[in-house]
Amino acid sequence: MADDKLKLYEERKKRFLAAMNLEKPDKVPVRLSLSEFVAKHAGYTLQEIYYDLEKNIDSINKLLTDFDLDAITGAPSLWWAGLHDAVGAKYLKFAGRELDPNTQFQYHEEAYMLPEDYDAFIENPTEWILNTFLPRLHEELSEPGSYRANLSLIKGAAGMAMQQGMNKKAWATWAAEYGGVPAFTAMSKAPFDTLADTLRGLTGIMLDLYQRPEKVKAALEVLIPHNIFYGMATSGGEMEFPLFMPLHRGSFPFLNPKQWAEFYWPSLKQVIEAFWSKGKRTLFFAEGNWTPYLESIAELPEKSIVFHVDMTDMAQAKKILGGRFCLSGNVPNMMLAYGKPEEVRDYVKRLIDEYAGDGGFIIDAAAVIQGDAREENIRAIIETAREYGVY
Amino acid sequence: MVNLTDELSIAIAELDGDKVMALVKERLQAGVKPLEIVKKLQDGMTRVGELFETGEFFLSELINCGEIMKGAMAELEPILAGGGQGYRGNIVIGTVKGDIHDLGKNIVVMLLKGTGYNVIDLGVDVAPERFIEAVKENNAPLLALSVLLTSCLDSMKEAVTKVKESGLDVKVLIGGPIIDDNFREYCGADFSSNIASEGVKIAEKVFA
Ligand code: B12
Repeated sequence: MADDKLKLYEERKKRFLAAMNLEKPDKVPVRLSLSEFVAKHAGYTLQEIYYDLEKNIDSINKLLTDFDLDAITGAPSLWWAGLHDAVGAKYLKFAGRELDPNTQFQYHEEAYMLPEDYDAFIENPTEWILNTFLPRLHEELSEPGSYRANLSLIKGAAGMAMQQGMNKKAWATWAAEYGGVPAFTAMSKAPFDTLADTLRGLTGIMLDLYQRPEKVKAALEVLIPHNIFYGMATSGGEMEFPLFMPLHRGSFPFLNPKQWAEFYWPSLKQVIEAFWSKGKRTLFFAEGNWTPYLESIAELPEKSIVFHVDMTDMAQAKKILGGRFCLSGNVPNMMLAYGKPEEVRDYVKRLIDEYAGDGGFIIDAAAVIQGDAREENIRAIIETAREYGVY
Repeated sequence: MVNLTDELSIAIAELDGDKVMALVKERLQAGVKPLEIVKKLQDGMTRVGELFETGEFFLSELINCGEIMKGAMAELEPILAGGGQGYRGNIVIGTVKGDIHDLGKNIVVMLLKGTGYNVIDLGVDVAPERFIEAVKENNAPLLALSVLLTSCLDSMKEAVTKVKESGLDVKVLIGGPIIDDNFREYCGADFSSNIASEGVKIAEKVFA
């Protein structure tokens, strides 16, 4: 690691960790949840970053060269489309295959798990996933045991290992050559989201809550240890940085308060507490509006999460969670795409004035930053935070 | 808020699926006109929409209600034969190209159907040309578009522009959580809203 880059890395890391520990760093840290914007900035099409791992990774080199960020969320595409093609994934559509070269990938939601699958799932989730679920979702696996299916399992596993290997190397390069600090180093989900997103789908889960609530609860119980294990496995033993948890179906107005308290919260709380007991903090990426649930979230152990604000009422979040957890986010994505740099500047200043005063605050956009964000607005966030966010 | 007196309307508003199905069958056997039964179901749905708007009902209730309605309509539609009759008009709807979020749009569809419109739902990731075709084919006076991704706002604008350029006599309503008046102007749409039930009120205006 070049000395100056090492110094930069340490400086940023210190700033970022201090905020999460509710301390006052030298400046308010800037962590931007950048996705497709990164590809656009580097001059790559979305098809290129989905299919070419090297371009996906290289786009971050360009980002880190051009922007001064305290923490980054990693390569813009989470997926390697080639890997999904190798197993014939039916639930994702990619640019260049089903879609035009510069369009966002698409997820095709359906109830891939049926009501009658609950018992087998609860009995042995991994067995059910391998024998029943994966063949349903993947063209190449549709006949388990066939040579095609075996081949695609090998290709899939090899592809996954390649992707992970390259990502790991990329993170080492970003740190050493650009002083790039990771915003998180692991990932997991709320048990209810695992069940509701990919398994039962939204309509499925909503009906289950009325028609088979006991099965839902039993399935959530099974998912708790699974999601804890998944989080720890993806952390690779790294404990300083948080674990990313994008939260979907617990936002208002998905579940009524009684359902939220009964089905969404207990299992999620257990997962987060288990991480914290091992020393791993959770980036509680609260997509949408979580205002009605802030009181419950405040029950989590102090500092165990970073609460990310998308459409949650910021003032309420500060009032109920401030001083307990670090807060992040809230710069509107509409403004980043359609607003002027002056508006962004004013917004960031106001955030710093009202919410960053006693430390424990990280600047970020409200939602994931896509290709529509304008470069001058991204610069305005960073510059304002650097100039105005000095403690 | 509507005041429900009919047992069937109350049953659907209380999300009592078994009771709804039983009452529908009972009334059909008793010779009640299918269209009248549909009307009672719609009254109940309207109530559910209102409860959602006032924050008493959540998505879980709304989706459950939608499925109960689907079940009841499966019973009724074959008898309503000939389709078309009794509808208050045709509305084409869809999520714009590039965007696949459809939960909000589905609620709008449910409420519009619940109020008696024939809704032609083109689904998600819909190209402008398909909107134009569907409006033409169904002679629809109203086209409703949904979007969630800020990155698809230009795709929304493109759809509105192309529909307007096509010269079709159709009003365009745009909706989604990030849509506001400024954006309506930017797109050149006739109406905009980020509340599903507003969509119904706008339809009432267009079809008045
Ligand atoms: C569920 C969800 C998904 C599901 C979608 C499932 C489905 N079948 O729709 C899945 C998991 C597939 C998904 C995928 C993605 N998503 Co998403 N998703 C959400 C989430 C959590 C909820 C949206 C929702 O359904 N809300 C509930 C419905 C009922 O509300 P609504 O849509 O606002 O509708 C209401 C009103 O707006 C109105 N309305 C809506 N349409 C219309 C139309 C008319 C005519 C009218 C009158 C009214 C109206 O009526 C409804 C009821 O009042 C939001 C975050 C959030 N909580 O809002 C993110 C969110 C919208 N997603 C987001 C993103 C980024 C994505 C992805 C790109 C993910 C990625 N990078 O990995 C992909 C997109 C792929 C694509 N090409 O579209 C971002 C968008 C950020 C941005 N810059 O715009 C959000 C905001 C999350 C975030 N904070 O980052 N997502």
